[in-house]
Amino acid sequence: MGIQIKNVSKSFGSVKVLKDISVDIKSGELIALLGPSGSGKTTLLRILAGLEGLDEGTILFDGEDITNVSPKERKIGFVFQHYALFRHMNVFENVAYGLKVRPRKTRPSKKEIERKVNELLSLVKLENFQDRYPSQLSGGQRQRVALARALAVEPKVLLLDEPFGALDAKVRKELRRWLRQLHNEFHVTSIFVTHDQEEALDVADRIIVMNNGKIEQIGTPDEVYENPKSPFVYDFLGNVNIFRGRLQNGKLKQGQFEINAPHYLDSHDDAVGYARPHDILIEKEQVDNETVPAKISFIHIVGPTARIELKREDNGEYLEAELPKEQFKNLQIQKGEVVYVRPKQLKVFIPEDFSI
Amino acid sequence: MTKPLDVDRKMPIVKKAVSNPYPLKESAIVKWSLITISLLYISLFLILPLISIFVTALEKGWETYVASIVHPDALAAIKLTITVALIVVPLNAVFGIAAAWLITKFTFRGKNLLVTLIDLPFAVSPVIAGLIFILLFGAQGLFGDWLFEHDIKIVFALPGIILATLFVTFPFVARELIPLMQTQGITEEEASISLGASGWKTFFYVTLPNIKWGLLYGLILCNARAIGEFGAVSVVSGHIRGETNTMPLHIEILYNEYQFTAAFAVASIMSILAILTIIIKHIASWKAKEF
Repeated sequence: MGIQIKNVSKSFGSVKVLKDISVDIKSGELIALLGPSGSGKTTLLRILAGLEGLDEGTILFDGEDITNVSPKERKIGFVFQHYALFRHMNVFENVAYGLKVRPRKTRPSKKEIERKVNELLSLVKLENFQDRYPSQLSGGQRQRVALARALAVEPKVLLLDEPFGALDAKVRKELRRWLRQLHNEFHVTSIFVTHDQEEALDVADRIIVMNNGKIEQIGTPDEVYENPKSPFVYDFLGNVNIFRGRLQNGKLKQGQFEINAPHYLDSHDDAVGYARPHDILIEKEQVDNETVPAKISFIHIVGPTARIELKREDNGEYLEAELPKEQFKNLQIQKGEVVYVRPKQLKVFIPEDFSI
Repeated sequence: MTKPLDVDRKMPIVKKAVSNPYPLKESAIVKWSLITISLLYISLFLILPLISIFVTALEKGWETYVASIVHPDALAAIKLTITVALIVVPLNAVFGIAAAWLITKFTFRGKNLLVTLIDLPFAVSPVIAGLIFILLFGAQGLFGDWLFEHDIKIVFALPGIILATLFVTFPFVARELIPLMQTQGITEEEASISLGASGWKTFFYVTLPNIKWGLLYGLILCNARAIGEFGAVSVVSGHIRGETNTMPLHIEILYNEYQFTAAFAVASIMSILAILTIIIKHIASWKAKEF
């Protein structure tokens, strides 16, 4: 089912949590709503579910206005952050609930409910747990029950609120992959809220980056990672190094340091260049003006990558570089050494970009 | 048990920690004196009076005991008390659930005022609660003339006793449920509705099962108070023997007439009810915790 969100605004008291949000979501897409806490992402999800009202705007499901339709008639599946399993029902009863509460006319027979629940339980690999109560399950198992319960009503849209937020790193990764597989199988339009950029980049077809009740950028993981539209998106999607300077004739300058920024031809006094740690090169000799001298303050090697923290010699700001272990070994650098840092790729933002 | 700073290096410093591994463990003297004090206190003020009720009740033999209970006035009092409880407890259950539901699952203006008002009967003396109803429905009261014209009896009759008991006991269920429902939150209800359940189905399948032990606990307390209420009922009942006397009022009358055995016999029935209540309450609270 395709979803259109048109000019949605929402306030809680005097706080505007959503400001004129408009998004088109295509049928069968897996969407991540990514943003820091307080960005309005969960509110938007709850508005889609009908659990929260909206002040202005409309929501269309397949072209049909459902803004004032109650949640129970929206045909959605909602997975809550803390699962919200019915604590007095066992796993089987939890999953069967959505079918059992249907009006008599549309309610499947007892046999059929049983078949359906068993099918879902084997899908989430919990066949042997159907008599357990939620309190007897681990976090990951509860989350899978919550998913099975939401899927039991054959929702047209699956909405997940921080589905993996409360799980430990390993289970999280496993469930992430599993959700992706599930989505490939069922192709139900799915939207999940997360504040974890890695999760969003890893799973989603498209990412909606939100900040302060507004949408900063919508795009595929590749688009938002490689071409962030604003400093916020750049910053939120990963670690960054900041190079401040003056923009002049397509170059970003600061003292001796001077680097090409061909996308900007007009001048600005305080522009900021962003570079990811893995886009930083370390050189032992200074060959041109496109590098800055910096002293290595910390070296941390985990697995195949070496993380190097440096302090700039000219202004004392800290930089972070990530390079493959091989490359690090070949460089033969040590803590305390002064090296030259070259940003391979620099994304420059001018002050106007910050005020978005 | 702290020692002054020990300068003697040969003293094993860790010894104390080994011999007393639990930081909250008390010495034997403190422990036993606390136990003795509480046991003495409980025996003196709770168990002894309770025993004396039964001893006095049975003082003149089993036959007198039975006779004072099957006396028509006593039977009428028991019947009236049970009738009042049977009407008041379900009414307050409905009110308590509705109020707790409203307060914990919705936000609205004046919510704090409502929470405060629910506590009002706890703050007001029962006698005053009784007087309120006399002032409203009594012969000289606000609605007195109207009620007289329509030949409706409230004060000095069953409706008045029920109203006074309702007033006094109405916080019990709500007070018990509000904190419970607050900690449970509303996400299970939201989940139920998102799965297509109606409001009623959500209430019966999700909310009610989650609060059932807390509700039972509140109902038991409410019931105990409804049976035992004296002050408010005394003001509105009119003390008509065999008609508007509840058990506590009947006991008082018997006592004032120096019929000690009869008074204590009826009191023993009330005590048995109270003990049963405590046992059920204990099971309910234990179940609630387990749940």
